[in-house]
Amino acid sequence: MRFLEAEGLSKTYIRRCKPKDGGISRLWKRDTQVINALQDASFSVDEGELVGLIGPNGAGKSTTVKLLTGILTPTGGTCRVDGRVPWLERREHVRHLGAVFGQRTQLWWDVPIHDSFLLLRDVYSMDKAAWQRRLDELVDALDLEEFLHTPLRQLSLGQRMRAELCGSLLHQPRLLFLDEPTIGLDAVSKLKLRAFLKEENRQRGTTILLTTHDMEDMLALCQRVMVLGRGKLLYDGQLDALLRRYDTVHTLRCTFDGQADLSRLPAAIHQERDGEAYALTFAPAEIPTREVLSHVLACGTIREMTLKEQNIDHLIARMYEEMQL
Amino acid sequence: MRYLYHAMCMNLKSIAQYRASFLMQNIAQFVMVGGEFLAVVVLMTRFTSAGQWSADEIMFFWGVMQFTFALCECLGRGISTFAYYVGSGDFDTMLLRPRPLMQQVMGHRLDPRRLGGMIVGGGAIALSCARLNIPWTAERLGLTLMAAVGGFFLILGLFLIEATVSFFSVRSIEMVNVLTYGGRATCQYPSDLYPRPLRILFTWVAPFALSMHLPISYVLGKPLFHVPTALVWLAPLAGPLFFLMMTRVWHVGVRHYRSTGT
Repeated sequence: MRFLEAEGLSKTYIRRCKPKDGGISRLWKRDTQVINALQDASFSVDEGELVGLIGPNGAGKSTTVKLLTGILTPTGGTCRVDGRVPWLERREHVRHLGAVFGQRTQLWWDVPIHDSFLLLRDVYSMDKAAWQRRLDELVDALDLEEFLHTPLRQLSLGQRMRAELCGSLLHQPRLLFLDEPTIGLDAVSKLKLRAFLKEENRQRGTTILLTTHDMEDMLALCQRVMVLGRGKLLYDGQLDALLRRYDTVHTLRCTFDGQADLSRLPAAIHQERDGEAYALTFAPAEIPTREVLSHVLACGTIREMTLKEQNIDHLIARMYEEMQL
Repeated sequence: MRYLYHAMCMNLKSIAQYRASFLMQNIAQFVMVGGEFLAVVVLMTRFTSAGQWSADEIMFFWGVMQFTFALCECLGRGISTFAYYVGSGDFDTMLLRPRPLMQQVMGHRLDPRRLGGMIVGGGAIALSCARLNIPWTAERLGLTLMAAVGGFFLILGLFLIEATVSFFSVRSIEMVNVLTYGGRATCQYPSDLYPRPLRILFTWVAPFALSMHLPISYVLGKPLFHVPTALVWLAPLAGPLFFLMMTRVWHVGVRHYRSTGT
């Protein structure tokens, strides 16, 4: 049996809303609307994997995470984490689970974070020595020392996220859920956070499930990704393979010394003037890069030239478009 | 227990962050409840008695109820404001922790501002005792305690109704307040003063009469409804029983928890 297994996992909500028309009866009549937050999702994850969960807003990412953490009870299907059904064996399940929600704090707002960690020791009934050892480790790795005795509300977003991570890892969970952990962080904090997560995953073999809109996070952390859209699992596999499928267009930017004549470029190369520079877009599958270069060399004397792949955000946007999300 | 104790300490620490505000609210509570107390005093000096009860006996009823209710508001704040945690998603966090849920809800919030209310309630009890000359036997003392404990759990159970409703409807219904705050206002006075429908409501639906009025009337030497002594001891258990039942129903509600979007 795999570490985490989900089979036909579904969650539907029934939303009641006022009918759009119907005169006075609007006061008591309610239309019911069935919302499929997650439909028939099946997947499995091995221990020690680092999996990314992506999809546009409202795709069912949070619902999936909440089902796997046991916060929600599914309307159909089942899942097992380490042999346990999350919503049936909640307490035993969450004992080995950590979760960080980027936009919501789980520590105590008005007290120094060290006090929060102390209370977490009781929450998880941790042995004092083990707790202290782990805390020292995390404080060191996450640079928490200088504000360990500052109330949470006085910390910056980046500091808070680090504190949250520390809180969620104190009890050495085997499975960690991260819901948009880098949201709102500056570049340096993001890089540090990613490095930390990678290390945690490598050293302790912690299984990590990550949802994010930040594609750089994905690239840096995950080899495997699951794409959700409108409550359905649309793709589950290697991130590389997914990108290769959509990374079809490259852009060549060049400036010329003196006059350049680009009128004889083949139609497969789309050209656009951008000030002094030209932006030439082409699909390597249609016309090989080598050919494009020889065409461009024939146009004039090149002063500067860069070749760019498409931005990963664009790829994902294209993918969503193609999957009609 | 250790967890609950530490969780409550955490709460006090949070409150200690805002000392001035805490002090002001306490004074406000004291003045508010003190006003209610004065109203009772004024009424009783005018009429000296109500039904078979003398002014001092009424004050004793009032004091026990006031003290118990304030204690509930203080310790049961997590339950009475539970609907808010469902809306804000704080309940998600509780579900992620390996502790019994009810323990976490109780430990989530304390409201020591109610200290003012407890002081006034205690004062009313002390004052009426001083004037009543109740022969304080172990039995009477025990029954008074039973009344307070029974009432305490009963009120918590009533708070739980609203908490349970919040799982199904985002805007919780005010209806429940009829039983909680209405119950407090009504049952500060012995239930034989009221017409039949109210008496039935507060005996069999929200059993304030069973858990508080019966034992207290016995303590005052004027047993209500001619109930045998053994039953007077059993009646307050209606409170904890009610609480247990409501906890069960609440746990069914947890299954229907829908969480909020992130």
